[in-house]
Amino acid sequence: MTRIDAETRIPDPIELDRLEEDRLRTVAGLAPLRTESGEYAGFDQVGIPDRPPQTDRERDVYSLGEGEMLVNMGPQHPSTHGVMRLVVKVRGEIIVDIDPVLGYLHRGIEKLCENATYTTVLTYVDPMDYLSTMHNEHAPAIAFEKLYGIRAPKRAEYIRALVVELNRIFSHGLMMGFLALDMGGITPILYAFINRDEIVDMLSAISGQRMLFNFFRVGGVNFDMNDEFLSRLGTWRGRVLKNIEMNEGLITGNEIFRSRTINMGTLSGQDAISLGVTGPNLRASGVPFDIRKAQPYSIYNELEFDVITQEGGDSYARYLQRIAEIKQSIHLIDQIIDKMPHGPVQAQVPGIIRPKPGRAYAAVESPRGLYSVYAISDGGPNPYRFRMRDPSFISLQALPKLMPGRLVADTMAVMASFDPVMGGVDK
Amino acid sequence: MRLLTERVDSGLRELWTDEDTVEFQVDAARAHDVLRTLRDDEELSFFMLADAAAVDYGSGERFEVVYHLFSWKHPGWLRIRAHVDRADPRIASITDLWEGAMFHEREMYDMMGIVFEGNRDLRRIYMSPDYRSFPQRRDFVLPDDAADSSAAGVNPLERPETWDLTRFNRAPAVTFPTSELRPGAPAEAVEDGKTLADQSRPR
Repeated sequence: MTRIDAETRIPDPIELDRLEEDRLRTVAGLAPLRTESGEYAGFDQVGIPDRPPQTDRERDVYSLGEGEMLVNMGPQHPSTHGVMRLVVKVRGEIIVDIDPVLGYLHRGIEKLCENATYTTVLTYVDPMDYLSTMHNEHAPAIAFEKLYGIRAPKRAEYIRALVVELNRIFSHGLMMGFLALDMGGITPILYAFINRDEIVDMLSAISGQRMLFNFFRVGGVNFDMNDEFLSRLGTWRGRVLKNIEMNEGLITGNEIFRSRTINMGTLSGQDAISLGVTGPNLRASGVPFDIRKAQPYSIYNELEFDVITQEGGDSYARYLQRIAEIKQSIHLIDQIIDKMPHGPVQAQVPGIIRPKPGRAYAAVESPRGLYSVYAISDGGPNPYRFRMRDPSFISLQALPKLMPGRLVADTMAVMASFDPVMGGVDK
Repeated sequence: MRLLTERVDSGLRELWTDEDTVEFQVDAARAHDVLRTLRDDEELSFFMLADAAAVDYGSGERFEVVYHLFSWKHPGWLRIRAHVDRADPRIASITDLWEGAMFHEREMYDMMGIVFEGNRDLRRIYMSPDYRSFPQRRDFVLPDDAADSSAAGVNPLERPETWDLTRFNRAPAVTFPTSELRPGAPAEAVEDGKTLADQSRPR
């Protein structure tokens, strides 16, 4: 019988829900989800797949101990930076285990690229990691140039380095905003987007596209720098440091932000290397590994910059690392503009290239870490195998390692500090 | 290069260098030992696994698992190509050397169907758990037969009658609990091939 409130004469809504669930279970011929004492017994089973576990690890995650339950975070959670599901095993408010479930954005880009010509591959990789589009194009462009045995002209290399560093700045800027957003601070993301739009408009002036630039070509870049790009670059350069300082002032000293990031998600350098974490996240753990220095590509051996590291290894160190790298990138951009040579921006390359059979590996330092491409040619117009290693896909493995013992609310704060992009994770 | 040949001794074949890559082949059976030596030897110290990828050389040929390593002490990348039998694709897992190889190996298993022995968590990572083919093999038909998959358009968790678990049972690397599924599992959730979710849809 439905319990009815004596005063308001309204049936108890929770009771109504339970009755409806019981009715549906009766229709389906299932036993009601009640224990004999009338307690609701359904919660413990939510989230467990109705099939035997396939691996030991899966069995560990999906078998519940005393007082534990599973919570699905996502796939449409606003802070997952894309579409991803975290199955979180909790005991009260404390996380026991995390199982990331991927594949919601899987488009099979590697397979698509193996059925595309070398030139069109550069368009397919754009929407992968959609916050570092220029880097996505850079690595395949280098790999295909190695396969085909050509080099881009000097000016093209400088323009490449310029747009790539601009891309890094807005990507890092957004990470700072998103990290604050995931802890409830709305303002920094608005300023971050204002700064990002300045750069994106600049890049759209040079490439003709606002987000998926499709700017790199095998053997060069699509367009030379034009007046609009240069004037926007000059305006932006004049005020960028002030803008970043302002955004930094909102976050860095904030007491709430500091208490939620310092000593949170601390990753030692040894663990980070073992887990395959690269890029700013690895340098925040004190390992000075930067592909631009370790394996200089493009023109980075002609430029002067420092590989900055932090000692903390926690979320706050990862945030500080981003700020330091933005400043290094601005320093790099100044040098690139100073040294920009004259000349063509595109080597003479036919529309459909057929490299000799061979293999090439190219790695670049994307805002999220080591982004690499392994391309195999069999002499045809399509790559025989096109493999991409996306840094955020690998960095995501740190999350189940770091979170056990922490509060549920800190999951997103730690995840945002790794700055994963699901378009890249799922390829 | 010379150091490499000394330390890793036998089993290296087809040494080859590129402008920035040193490459050699090993047998699948020796790959794990070679990688351990490369990581732990003080003069080699290839501490970082940059990439692990699988390549399919077509039916009747072979698979290859390709590792890229990095060391501070040597210029360039080190590429190790381990040949894997295509009829019975098995190779030792390196998750005990680099924890981060887990997602690499899960992706290779998902896309190519290579079984990594010793991996604790070898299950599909991108495709749904009941998906049956390996989409990045060369003989995977395009336009892809995912459209004909039993799981097309339906949440696979709602269609347990389509699960083909026999394929997994043939592979000892993937273990199952021998008991009746799991204690406390909602066994009653499926009856006559229909689930609660099927029944409760608006009629």
